[in-house]
Amino acid sequence: MAMTQTRGRALLLTPAALWYAALLLLPLAVVLIFSFGERTPIGGYAPGFTLAQYANLPARMAAFRNTLTLAPVGTLAALLIAYPLAYFLAVRVSVRWKTLLLVLVIVPFWTSILIRSYAWIFLLGGKGLPALLASIGFEDIRLLNSPFAVLVGIVYGYLPLMVFPIYVALEKLDLRLLEAAADLGAPPWRSFVQITLPLSMPGVLTGSMLVFILLMGEFLIPAILGGGKVFFVGNALVDLFLQSRNWPFGSAVAVALVVIMLITVAIYTRVVKRYAAGRDDVAMM
Amino acid sequence: MMIQNPSMADAASTDVAPTEVVAEFAGATKRFGAVLAADRINLRIRRGEFLSFLGPSGCGKTTALRMLAGFEAPTEGAVLIDGKDVSAVPAHKRPVNMVFQHYALFPHMTVAQNVGYGLRQRRPRLPGAEIAQKVDAALAKVRLADFGARRIWELSGGQQQRVALARAIINEPQILLLDEPMAALDAKLRGEMQRELLELQRSLNVTFVLVTHDQEEALSMSDRICIMGKGRIAQVGSPQELYDRPRNRYVADFVGRANIVAAKIIARQGGIAQAVLGNGATIGVNDLPGDTRGKAEIAIRPEALTLARGKDAVPEDTVALPARVTHRTFLGDRTEYLLMAEGIGPLQVNSPRQAASAIGEHDVGAHVRVLWRAGTGLVLAADI
Amino acid sequence: MKNDTTPISRTAFMEELRRYQKGSVTRRHFLGVTGLGTAMAVMGGALPGLLPTRARAQDIGDRVVLATWPNYHDPANFDAFAQQTGALTQVNVFGSNEEMLAKIQAGGSGWDVFVPTNYAIPTYVMADLIEPLDLSKIPNYDAAAFDQRFATAGTIDGKVYAVPKNWGTTGIAFNSTKTGGIVDSWKTFFDGARDKFDGRVMVHDYQLTTIGNALVYHGFSFNSVDPAELAEAEKLLIDVKPHLYAISSDYQPAMRNGDAWLTMCWTGDGKQMNVDMPEIGFALGKEGGEIWSDYYAIPKDAPHKDAAYALINYLLDPNVNATEALAHGYPVADSRTNALLPEALLNDPILYPAAGALDPLEFGAAVTLTDPNRAEVMARFKSA
Repeated sequence: MAMTQTRGRALLLTPAALWYAALLLLPLAVVLIFSFGERTPIGGYAPGFTLAQYANLPARMAAFRNTLTLAPVGTLAALLIAYPLAYFLAVRVSVRWKTLLLVLVIVPFWTSILIRSYAWIFLLGGKGLPALLASIGFEDIRLLNSPFAVLVGIVYGYLPLMVFPIYVALEKLDLRLLEAAADLGAPPWRSFVQITLPLSMPGVLTGSMLVFILLMGEFLIPAILGGGKVFFVGNALVDLFLQSRNWPFGSAVAVALVVIMLITVAIYTRVVKRYAAGRDDVAMM
Repeated sequence: MMIQNPSMADAASTDVAPTEVVAEFAGATKRFGAVLAADRINLRIRRGEFLSFLGPSGCGKTTALRMLAGFEAPTEGAVLIDGKDVSAVPAHKRPVNMVFQHYALFPHMTVAQNVGYGLRQRRPRLPGAEIAQKVDAALAKVRLADFGARRIWELSGGQQQRVALARAIINEPQILLLDEPMAALDAKLRGEMQRELLELQRSLNVTFVLVTHDQEEALSMSDRICIMGKGRIAQVGSPQELYDRPRNRYVADFVGRANIVAAKIIARQGGIAQAVLGNGATIGVNDLPGDTRGKAEIAIRPEALTLARGKDAVPEDTVALPARVTHRTFLGDRTEYLLMAEGIGPLQVNSPRQAASAIGEHDVGAHVRVLWRAGTGLVLAADI
Repeated sequence: MKNDTTPISRTAFMEELRRYQKGSVTRRHFLGVTGLGTAMAVMGGALPGLLPTRARAQDIGDRVVLATWPNYHDPANFDAFAQQTGALTQVNVFGSNEEMLAKIQAGGSGWDVFVPTNYAIPTYVMADLIEPLDLSKIPNYDAAAFDQRFATAGTIDGKVYAVPKNWGTTGIAFNSTKTGGIVDSWKTFFDGARDKFDGRVMVHDYQLTTIGNALVYHGFSFNSVDPAELAEAEKLLIDVKPHLYAISSDYQPAMRNGDAWLTMCWTGDGKQMNVDMPEIGFALGKEGGEIWSDYYAIPKDAPHKDAAYALINYLLDPNVNATEALAHGYPVADSRTNALLPEALLNDPILYPAAGALDPLEFGAAVTLTDPNRAEVMARFKSA
């Protein structure tokens, strides 16, 4: 009986395990092997064992610096906008409107990020927002193809990913806790800081993690809204693989990016664990 | 309200001397859209008393409590604390604290942090040492002296309840509000907690206002009970008053068991009304002050009635109502009989053990007489 | 000027969106950047089973896969080809020669015919990715009819690996109402970017042309891989970067709505913009720049070789080629085809500049495709 169960479970898990191995571990292994190889004179990959690619990483220092600047800033900006929105949806909106508003938050996700980012080109371009600003007296304001435009695109693109975990955390919030805080003498803003915020931290951490990790690999939004002038590691990778076809160096850059992401996840895990140690309502997500 | 029920609400609020009043509902009304949750509540709460709001769910008792706490503002009328109208004062500025129904303890804080929360809200800030010392004292008071560092979810239901209590009393409120605090506890623990709560109230000398749907809890703990129904106050009084002199059918039904029989009033004098029952018998019952109706409902407690066999002599001032036993429940210390009385309808009679042993039990189907002594019945008001 | 500040209309927005959906937003590099290189469309519009069946002299299969550039064919010709042969053409569009090379290098591309540019062909031959063509299977290719300038790159060591499709140049598109006249030198282009055209100039997101034209600005060869010369070009580019509107090969939208005034531009794009907005002109840099020629070639691992030859032969039929040219607007090197084209097109100064203007232009050299230094210069420029 137990034997059958074990075998049954193993059988059930096999597709998942194979899937995981084929789609995640295998490519990762290939990238790792490539990163120690050499570039052939016409590009591509030649087998070898050299650390030259890793030694060359400083050549993409600017890309890493840009990514490691804009990813946290973008995450923070998304958080600052997503939190009030999630709070509004979870706490303030009546049940009647909630579903509709939640759907409105998701709807943009049904369209390709490429098309949505293109819409921003028109919004931020000369005949969009700047034209409106010009009509009220603010002449010659240029928004497109700047780090600001990239930030706008990032916040816009990743907002739902930030809104939903926070929404879920706030949805679970027992509003009587806020009444209890008020009853004990806490004015609204203080009960927000002392009760609401800490209790929604799991959502904040999860959302920030999701957005941060995805931003680390972002290349589309800087390419479209940054006018090619804002250069992320993701853009460096695209260029290395598709333009100069320097696969070994591209692989080394990719490995470095993965390592940075792993470190970030490790820090996240540690923070959540420490947090969860004092809580029954926090679980790893 | 005055017209419907001439004496009741007024009596309830005026029987507390102005100097004794710690809080007052002055015609407080609360509407949620079309729903009238509290309807012109007039009530004075005496300093240091243990007052319970009793009633089924939806009767308005919780709304009344929340108006006192400051979570709801009255739509009309006012709520006063210490003589001041606090209707527009937010909860965090009122000198009252609450023990919430499911305790509403902060899950991300330790027991000590929960208990000290109120003190940490004080401005100017209190010194940390003073907070710590007061937290220890409060925890000691609820017999949780060594639990300060514990996490909330590590505690049992009873312990959580005590933390909630300690958290609420640490601010030394004028009034401690308790919203069904015992609802989540099992029966045995509930009894224990009720006793502890009473002791605490005595030692703190703080006004307790309890909301409950459990009449036994209200009867056993309260100095006064405010029975509510349909958003209105049905009657306010001590447990004995409510039991002995329920003012209307709602209260008579809600507190204890009562037989309600229709009667014609043919004469009234000196607080006694002569009531003609359905079978033609006439009996003197306690009158409702100011009542002038010719027809009324009479309440009589099951234990006020006794049973006799056909041949037994009928004492003076007593009427004997012929009846047939339809149901009998033996309950050890007493036997409950359900009977069908001729011309009157169903009646319940509780017969104590010693009475049964003296005259024996009556079998189902047996023809008996129900003895109703003058002065044990009560004329009821029409409605709340 | 007034026009610039009018917000984009709904119709204009939808047009831009549709342009994107059709894949014509980008000529080359943008597709690579977005990873949309695999975007594909099945031309022919019908399933093989629905095609009229008829006896064919030679069965070439039901499918042929073509890797080409966006907006580079007349879809009606693919329909006709399917009618004639029963083979549907599956079109994959790409953003750059580098991307095409990466795809073939990775193996298993599944392509039957692709369209490399002159300077990429030696690399394909060196990497043994393409084979010499069997010209007996392309009777429509008449070497004598072609302008040798645009045909020689297909022949290496006396073997014909690729046959010419179209040719063109990389020049400067300028909005004359903003620039105040023709811009026909890279000196004006790069100096103006830092001066009166500040924030209004675009360069390609493409190392060949962007670095090449920066080299030409300094009087070096468009194809230089000399480290010292590249360093000069890099210095210029990094100096100009803060003043650029964008580094992007998708310059049409910005040029059309007036955000950009000046851009590096391929012939076809220049012609398209000029047709719609006469104030946008196209000129060749008088110091030099790029002239290029695209070719048809067959990958060594092409799965449908017979169909590949049939497709190339069909597209080189002068009648077919003429309809192609009318659809995409790029110059043709085949005199037989040109004989069929309208006079106006052949006299168009953008498509067919005066021979003298072409003299300083250089064909891209094979080395630029694979030189690691140029890739690094570009990366430093973009991340600066």
